[in-house]
Amino acid sequence: MKDRITCFALALCLLCGSLLCLFREKPDFSESERRVLAKFPETTAQSFFSGDFADGFEEYATDTFPFREYLRSVKAHVSRAVFNLSDNNGIFKENAHITKLDYPLNMPMLDHAAERFDFINRTYLEGKNTRVFLSIIPDKNYFLDVLKLDYEKLCSYMREKMPYASYIDIFPKLELEHYYLTDSHWRQNRIYPVAETIANALGADISATYSESFLPDPFYGVYAGQSALKVMPDSIIYLENDTLSSCTVTSFDTGKPEKAEMYDMEKAKGRDPYEMFLSGGSSLLTIENPNAKEKRELVIFRDSFASSLAPLLVPGYSKITLVDIRYIQSAMLGNFVDFENADVLFLYSTSMLNASLAFK
Amino acid sequence: MLFSSVTFLYYFLPAVLLLYYAVPYKLKNAVLLLASLVFYAWGEPVYVFLMLASNACGYVLGRLIEKHRGEKQAKTWLIVSVVFNLALLGFFKYTDFFISNFNAATGLSVPLLNVILPIGISFYTFQILSYTVDVYRGDVAAQRDPLKLATYISFFPQLIAGPIVRYRDIATQLDERELSFYQTSRGVRRLIIGLAKKVLIANQLGELCEIFRVSPDKSVAYFWLYAVAFTLHVYFDFSGYSDMAIGLGKIFGFEFTENFRYPFISRSISGFWRRWHISLGSWFRDYVYIPLGGNRCGEGRQIINLLVVWSLTGLWHGAAWNFVIWGLFFAVFLIGEKLLWGDALSKVPILPHIYVIVITLVSFVIFDSRSLPEMLHYVGSMFGAGDYPLISTEFLYYLRSYGLLIICAIIGATPFCKLFFRENSFGITLKTLFETVFLIILLLLVTAYLADGSFNPFLYFRF
Repeated sequence: MKDRITCFALALCLLCGSLLCLFREKPDFSESERRVLAKFPETTAQSFFSGDFADGFEEYATDTFPFREYLRSVKAHVSRAVFNLSDNNGIFKENAHITKLDYPLNMPMLDHAAERFDFINRTYLEGKNTRVFLSIIPDKNYFLDVLKLDYEKLCSYMREKMPYASYIDIFPKLELEHYYLTDSHWRQNRIYPVAETIANALGADISATYSESFLPDPFYGVYAGQSALKVMPDSIIYLENDTLSSCTVTSFDTGKPEKAEMYDMEKAKGRDPYEMFLSGGSSLLTIENPNAKEKRELVIFRDSFASSLAPLLVPGYSKITLVDIRYIQSAMLGNFVDFENADVLFLYSTSMLNASLAFK
Repeated sequence: MLFSSVTFLYYFLPAVLLLYYAVPYKLKNAVLLLASLVFYAWGEPVYVFLMLASNACGYVLGRLIEKHRGEKQAKTWLIVSVVFNLALLGFFKYTDFFISNFNAATGLSVPLLNVILPIGISFYTFQILSYTVDVYRGDVAAQRDPLKLATYISFFPQLIAGPIVRYRDIATQLDERELSFYQTSRGVRRLIIGLAKKVLIANQLGELCEIFRVSPDKSVAYFWLYAVAFTLHVYFDFSGYSDMAIGLGKIFGFEFTENFRYPFISRSISGFWRRWHISLGSWFRDYVYIPLGGNRCGEGRQIINLLVVWSLTGLWHGAAWNFVIWGLFFAVFLIGEKLLWGDALSKVPILPHIYVIVITLVSFVIFDSRSLPEMLHYVGSMFGAGDYPLISTEFLYYLRSYGLLIICAIIGATPFCKLFFRENSFGITLKTLFETVFLIILLLLVTAYLADGSFNPFLYFRF
């Protein structure tokens, strides 16, 4: 009798799993991982004999397994609670903070970033009466008890490779609480001291008064889904005042000027609400401030951290140009950006410098 | 197709089981053969024809050997069988190894053939060899039904990662076997435990080994952590696969011999090899060591025999010098135990266990080396010869992270759990209920890890 119970129970489990695999509707997209799931592979003789069909089917069967989101969560909890593993697929949780391990220091990537910056300096900045600055944003691992980069080495290496840039140290101005719980980015409402430090170094006056506005929905950052753990949501708070409201934001992503938003409420409802800041990733974007105290321009070479910081620098400049060389060739910048007499700031996070392969 | 995959567990296996139990008894071998061919073709769509050709040769040569038993021709056909199978193995597995060594020795640059190694060729070739040798020796009758022989050789549970099942052990089961709830429930239990060993323990330890390999922050202690992790990784991966194979065999009514018996509790290296990959060790003993003279000759010849057998054992695991050195490394200790310190070991407490553990840890670092310089570097660094600190930040992080898993794995590598459950019967009904629930939970966890697409390597692609 006992053997029958074991046989029937396990056979039932396999059979149910199998039937669900066969007949349950297959999702196309994983919201939590923010990625497109594998599709049923091409069925041709060539794909079969090359082994591509088998590989593709395995990927498809795994990606579309019934209740996969729930199972991922089970796995994450077991890894953490039963096996006591510090991270699950490279995602680390400490108290309410979730982060991704970014380790070790990748020197070729730093070299690549430095080489691209050097190209920009030689091509556009030398002899143009520009003042060049470098500031590096620590990722939040810097504040956590995880395996982390050698930040000191990273910063000193980049400073050494960029002798033409004055370094602005913002590390002391940041704390763990300045970052979102489940996202890599910092909170705009907590980084005014950072903006102030940068502005002081640039000699710009950014003093202003802001009011805080909240997004109505809870904010689950990019790591929330990847961790597959139960997490506390944040709320996105953004800063507003009349100066920011009067600014004109223009995107040049398509090659033509198009109106963009300082705070994009459509993006705030999307998969990544952090993209509300300056409408998310953009190759080239300008913020024009008609109420600037003086005619002064700033060009920021940046990653996504600058999207929430740049609005805070607006009071000190009549025009801020944000350039993301992940999306635009450095060699083409001369067609779009006038660097003459501008302040130029290279503002990058440590994680971006350590994975700079996309810099063009 | 891997046993530890969604495709196998939720597509292939249920379909095969339904078909197998639905068809009349006389068709069951045909179902198994068909399933085995699909299973193999899934991963090796071209080389499935090679395996079928190998099967056919095994069948024909077995029949010819039997037909001429007692005559000179029987030996000729046996030699043909041995040469054919070894040539097949040699060509697919060792050609590029020999060419690269030839090039290194002569300074020539003969181009490599870049032959892709058919999965499981080492296993099925050895099975065919043992079959023809056993027929020649008269230990078994040649199989008259080619489908039954093909079922034996290509039977999917043991096809790609063993154990190396002898024909004589399952010859009668091919004709007649018991299909009972008792047997099936034992098989299901074994299958799920094997899956858990592979997916929940081996894969995670394998991930640690991969992390170590690319670490820029190595230390002496980290090398030892890697050695422990890799040794346990191989054990849980390989014994997990064997458990799955044995379990699947039982589900289909077959009894395979055990392949692992808690090797790390051994008190000597010879004891270790009586418990580690038993089917391979006994194969080399019966078909190489004993025919070479075994223990029945003088000490000098015995040493030579051991060196031959263990260099071949090493080479069987992969076409690279580190595997040969791995085999010879064991040979040195086996010879030492046979001639020098074997008796002393049996009289001392605790020390023999430490001796076995240290030697096996070093041996698996050799096993995992990607080149000879790396082997020397890794082994040397374990003993402080590298320019590394005693401990490093990364070591401390991963020790803290993987410590509990390693402790669980160490306990799981001993008979402790088995004895615990045997001693605590809890009453039959409660035990059955507990065991069934436990197995369902394990299956759910395995599925969760597989559905997450976690690290899931296949170690035997070089075998």
